[in-house]
Amino acid sequence: MTLTARSTGPLLEIRGIKTHFFTQDGVVKAVDDVTFEIGHGQTLGVVGESGCGKSITSLSVMRLIERPGRIVAGEILLNGENLLEKSDADMRDIRGDQVSMIFQEPMTSLNPVFTCGDQIAEAVQQHTAVSRREAWDRGVEMLRVVGISDAKRRASEHPHQLSGGMRQRVMIAMALSTDPDLLIADEPTTALDVTIQAQILEVMRELREKNRMAIMLITHDLGVVAEMADEVVVMYAGKVVERSDVKTVFGSPHHPYTQGLLLSIPRLDERRERLQVIKGTVPSPLHLPEGCLFKRRCPHRMKVCDTPPPYQEVGPSHVSRCWLTPAGEAPDVGADATGPEAEQAAEALTVAAR
Amino acid sequence: MSDAAMAPSDGVVEGEQMSGGQTTEQRAAARGGSAAAPLLEVDNLVKHFEIRGGLLGISKLGAVRAVDGVSFSVTEGETLGLVGESGCGKTTLGKVILRLLPPTAGSVNFEGKSLFDLSSRELKAARRDIQVVFQDPYASLNPRMSVGEIVGEGLYVHGMTNKRERESAVRDLLKRVGLNQQHIHRYPHEFSGGQRQRIGIARALALRPRFIVCDEPVSALDVSIQSQVLNLLSDLQDEFQLTYLFIAHNLAVVKHLSTRVGVMYLGKLVELSDADELYQAPAHPYTKALLSAIPVPDPTVRRERIVLKGDLPSPANPPSGCRFHTRCPMAQEICKVEEPPLRDVGGGHMSACHFAEEVTPLGSE
Repeated sequence: MTLTARSTGPLLEIRGIKTHFFTQDGVVKAVDDVTFEIGHGQTLGVVGESGCGKSITSLSVMRLIERPGRIVAGEILLNGENLLEKSDADMRDIRGDQVSMIFQEPMTSLNPVFTCGDQIAEAVQQHTAVSRREAWDRGVEMLRVVGISDAKRRASEHPHQLSGGMRQRVMIAMALSTDPDLLIADEPTTALDVTIQAQILEVMRELREKNRMAIMLITHDLGVVAEMADEVVVMYAGKVVERSDVKTVFGSPHHPYTQGLLLSIPRLDERRERLQVIKGTVPSPLHLPEGCLFKRRCPHRMKVCDTPPPYQEVGPSHVSRCWLTPAGEAPDVGADATGPEAEQAAEALTVAAR
Repeated sequence: MSDAAMAPSDGVVEGEQMSGGQTTEQRAAARGGSAAAPLLEVDNLVKHFEIRGGLLGISKLGAVRAVDGVSFSVTEGETLGLVGESGCGKTTLGKVILRLLPPTAGSVNFEGKSLFDLSSRELKAARRDIQVVFQDPYASLNPRMSVGEIVGEGLYVHGMTNKRERESAVRDLLKRVGLNQQHIHRYPHEFSGGQRQRIGIARALALRPRFIVCDEPVSALDVSIQSQVLNLLSDLQDEFQLTYLFIAHNLAVVKHLSTRVGVMYLGKLVELSDADELYQAPAHPYTKALLSAIPVPDPTVRRERIVLKGDLPSPANPPSGCRFHTRCPMAQEICKVEEPPLRDVGGGHMSACHFAEEVTPLGSE
């Protein structure tokens, strides 16, 4: 949290992390070679369907992966320091202080036998040398900040006495009570009604401006991403398939999966007689296809897709894991290319940044 | 057959009592009142759940007014969408129509016959015509029955006792909903969420119903699977001339599939109109707030956002007058005392707001 660290480089850099689960049935590559970064005060949206690895990515950042899962490769740099080299004690200090996390289901993440005020005060005391009294006051203050009316009374209530929206506010209050640099929000509004979702997003937006906090927003709701994010990472079967700023991803998506997702959602602002569909289902993580993981569902499938596609630059700061050229045509190596020829082409096209 | 079952059903019912702040004409109008006879008519339906307490748990402490005087009708071949947030009573309404819950008051007529006055034999016959697809594809399929047994159970109950005949019918159904016919002997846990929902749809279709209540059929599914199931539902509607009551909280999904849409709030129907009209020109401030709260999947659009204050009041103790007045940005004195009736604000567009005419389209300010 030093000022010098703030001014140089991105806040969080994830470089080639692989989080695998060693199950009885085989190895599940839940996160497989994921790379991205988040700048100070930026909001990164991570989208994808169930099982794409978006939640495991965030848990990896927090080092909350439990057996049989393990981070087998990569680096996670927070302000330039590799979190994977930290001791457990150091990690406990970092969690909740520099990085906070809020989860989808506020009821299961709050302790039912303690009051909301106690729980926030506990988090405050964990990370700052303050008295019990001061910590409690900070808790009440935070409840007020996230828009809970009558914060003093609410602080002495237990989680079951609050509605879903208020519980999520308590979670946010707790996460922000230590003024973190990065907030990881894993489906923060999925369990809430739309009018309550609007309230929570509003709170997050305000606090982001005020605290200049970065947010890693994990969601399957493309609407929420379009509204909140500066940059977007699209994940599929454990890999990042597309990444760019929010306007590019929604305005001119390159990867067929992203395109399919955007076309398959019913929209309020236009009439679609028939929804476009992405055929088939997500492949089983135990039996992933060779080459491109999306090829079985892809309308552009070519022979070359049997070779792992390049992660190529298709525009200014716009990368896509697909064989199609930036213009959406067959690659120079040819649609039917196979073997070493295709592999070399993939390597040559893959962005140098890695 | 009871008298009620013989009553005519031309959209105007005479000689009824005033209730729920609406006159008979208003309610008749709410039901559509168009030339075509409605397939399903819901009239002033009420469902309260008693809250009991005390030493023996028998003293009545009050009631959760889950559905509190709802009237509408569904014409053959149309899809009526019902939207609202959790706790608004939309699922309870569906369950009462299906007779999975007994009503507290009111009536539901199917083809002019009251569903609440049927003998058990008549009810069994009616259940062929009215089927349901549930929300949770994990909880609504018996894990100990094979797909063939799940889909074929209704056929067996309704007289198709020949096993071979039944199996071939089930295979046809599986094919129709896009499942592999070879999977007839598999069990629910072997399928993905989307496939399970297809099994649920095949089960609902087995008896060739005319009316299907779809209660949040896609909300548990991933986006790419959701569109597959929505397309399937609309294909089946064309093929079998089905009529849907489509209950969901996702307004975009409801709009996509529905001919008309009803919006519920705390047990009441607050607006009912043609689907496109509802989205272009909402006539109730709650509908407008609901529309504005939905994030648009387009980062270049910055829309007017009405953030409602506070939480949904408890349906056990709803606010006086208009139930929305505690959160309404347009609320006036009258809203606290007088409950607004559901009235026609032009062209069959129904709204239960004192100031329906003053509600402006979204983004016009």
